[in-house]
Amino acid sequence: MSTPILSIQDLHVKVGEREVLRGINLELPAGQVHAIMGPNGSGKSSLSHVLAGKPGYTVTRGSVNYKGTDLLALPAEERARAGLFLGFQYPVEIPGVNNAYLLRAALNAGRRQRSEPEIDAFDFLTLVKERMALMKMDESFLSRGVNEGFSGGEKKRNEILQMLVLQPQLAVLDETDSGLDIDALKVVATGINSLRSPERAILLVTHYQRLLDHVTPDAVHVLAGGRIVKSGGAELARELEQRGYDWLLEAA
Amino acid sequence: MNAVARPPVPGSMSNAAYEQRLRDAVMDAAALLNARLLPVSVRSAALNRALAAGLPQLRDDLWRYADLRFLASAALAPVAPDAPGLLSAAIDPLLPPRLSGFTRLVFANGRLYEPGSDASDALDLALPPLVPERTRHERFGWLNDAFATGVARLKVNAPMRVEVVFAATPGAVRQAVYPRLEVQLSPDTQLVLVERHVGTTGSEGTINAAVQVFAGAGSQVNHLRWQALDADAQLLDTVQLAMDRDARYELVQLQLGARSARTSLRASLFGAGAAFSLHGVALAQGRRTLDHSLLVDHLASRTQSTQVLRAIAGDHAHIACRSRVEIGQAAPGSLSAQSLKGLLGNAGAEIDLRPQLEIHTDDVKASHGATTGALEENMRFYLLSRGVDAATARALLEWAFLEDALAGVAPPELRAAAENAAASALGSDVARQLVVPA
Repeated sequence: MSTPILSIQDLHVKVGEREVLRGINLELPAGQVHAIMGPNGSGKSSLSHVLAGKPGYTVTRGSVNYKGTDLLALPAEERARAGLFLGFQYPVEIPGVNNAYLLRAALNAGRRQRSEPEIDAFDFLTLVKERMALMKMDESFLSRGVNEGFSGGEKKRNEILQMLVLQPQLAVLDETDSGLDIDALKVVATGINSLRSPERAILLVTHYQRLLDHVTPDAVHVLAGGRIVKSGGAELARELEQRGYDWLLEAA
Repeated sequence: MNAVARPPVPGSMSNAAYEQRLRDAVMDAAALLNARLLPVSVRSAALNRALAAGLPQLRDDLWRYADLRFLASAALAPVAPDAPGLLSAAIDPLLPPRLSGFTRLVFANGRLYEPGSDASDALDLALPPLVPERTRHERFGWLNDAFATGVARLKVNAPMRVEVVFAATPGAVRQAVYPRLEVQLSPDTQLVLVERHVGTTGSEGTINAAVQVFAGAGSQVNHLRWQALDADAQLLDTVQLAMDRDARYELVQLQLGARSARTSLRASLFGAGAAFSLHGVALAQGRRTLDHSLLVDHLASRTQSTQVLRAIAGDHAHIACRSRVEIGQAAPGSLSAQSLKGLLGNAGAEIDLRPQLEIHTDDVKASHGATTGALEENMRFYLLSRGVDAATARALLEWAFLEDALAGVAPPELRAAAENAAASALGSDVARQLVVPA
């Protein structure tokens, strides 16, 4: 196994006085997709937020290493520029800022970080339109406000589109499958699969197994009470689908 | 919101002192008060009303947040114009590029400035003056009636585009300037009006502007008011709009400059089916105070009004807006919606938004809302999580906040002009890039 893209050691996190993560250990090697599953309130979204640098979470113990650097020392925007992408469970609407502008600003922020020149307008449009076709999104979307008036499914597709344009090295997708009908789920899965490559890693945070029918994970971790209580292969997800989470919670 | 009322005028300024200052101003300016612009009877009646009204009292809800302290010392009298060469050297650099397709009228220190103005058949001083009924809400409008030294009196009989630039400079002598615009639209005609306020008379001067528009039956007005005065300017601004049957009035108001600016606006929807909309943006930094008092009177059936105001205050600036909508007994079937929102840049800034609604008839749909707060943390984090730096994220979100008031502005060139002005005032390249071209 090569050096992991993400290495989490004994991570403890509080929100206010409440401890939401209580000793997470996780290694995510390049080229792999890991799924984080667990019941509501188990800490799945907290883990995603902490990795992306959302304010309001206090790390009380442990470390997170991303490609050899201390991830927790970086502000949110620098994590993004270093190749980390968070797909939001509830993407935010920002009327007045159009999708094209945000995509380009985000893309160029990463390129500047890597000392690459800013993308020219023509190359940008070509790139975005190609990715939009993959996500089956209409071109009129580009001039609309970010997520403004989008349906739940459109918002999730937009998250994946952003991911495909930004080409992150580590994608953390927080319940990207929730609220999707089966057709949208397939489109989103196609997008995720197209990002899989030996240099990248993906952390899929999900409540249900159904996304994993379309994106086969290399490993599945079950989170409960702020800890990983069980890890296994893709078959663990199917077992959870059949048996629910209770048997694990009892064992934990 | 930290709503601490402060006296509009410091305690040292009594009504008696104010009265004396006004009487002195009349004596000083008597020779300049041209009866051809406004008859002596109008001027003296207005002065008497102003004297009787005096200064706003401390607890006067209509004036509570206006910063009028400058009235104690700043000039109140107009003065003779500077020599032409001196005037043009000061005014010409202030004039913005022309808007193509517009008839331009320029005021220099309260007088029509011929070198910068176009000739127009619509301009006619022989028309009866438009002197609307004013109340204590518009009390400084009486001073304009009394002291106006220049008037653009327009009769619009055919579709027209007019750009009015009110330019001010401190001049050789400290002075008050009284620019005045009167517009009457014939039935079923259209006017696109851009009204700009630039320059300053300095901290020892005042600018007292009065704008009145009568929109005839079935007429349409798209009016951009764009206040971009210098940072030491002191503005008293009175706007009275009247709408006859089925007239449509779309007002875009940008308050982007001045040290202290108070706008008293009244929209009277007296004809059935008349519609009024306000798209307002107010930006204040430093110690700027921007006060708005808006009155919308629904006086006939099926009248409609909408107001969207977005205000951003930083540093120690203060923005206030009292917006009162009255739907009278004669106005069944009317609609009204008000949305006032404020964004505070830091703890030293203050925003006071007060929507008020009074309904005297049934069968009315009316809504109003006001909120003031800081940038929404969820939106900010979303942008940061895409690699956008904190300064850019703030600029984007401030722009998005303002854009809410400007997105619906028509025609497109007016929207683009308003957006460009707001983006420049925000001082961010980010916002400039987001302006939707016309």
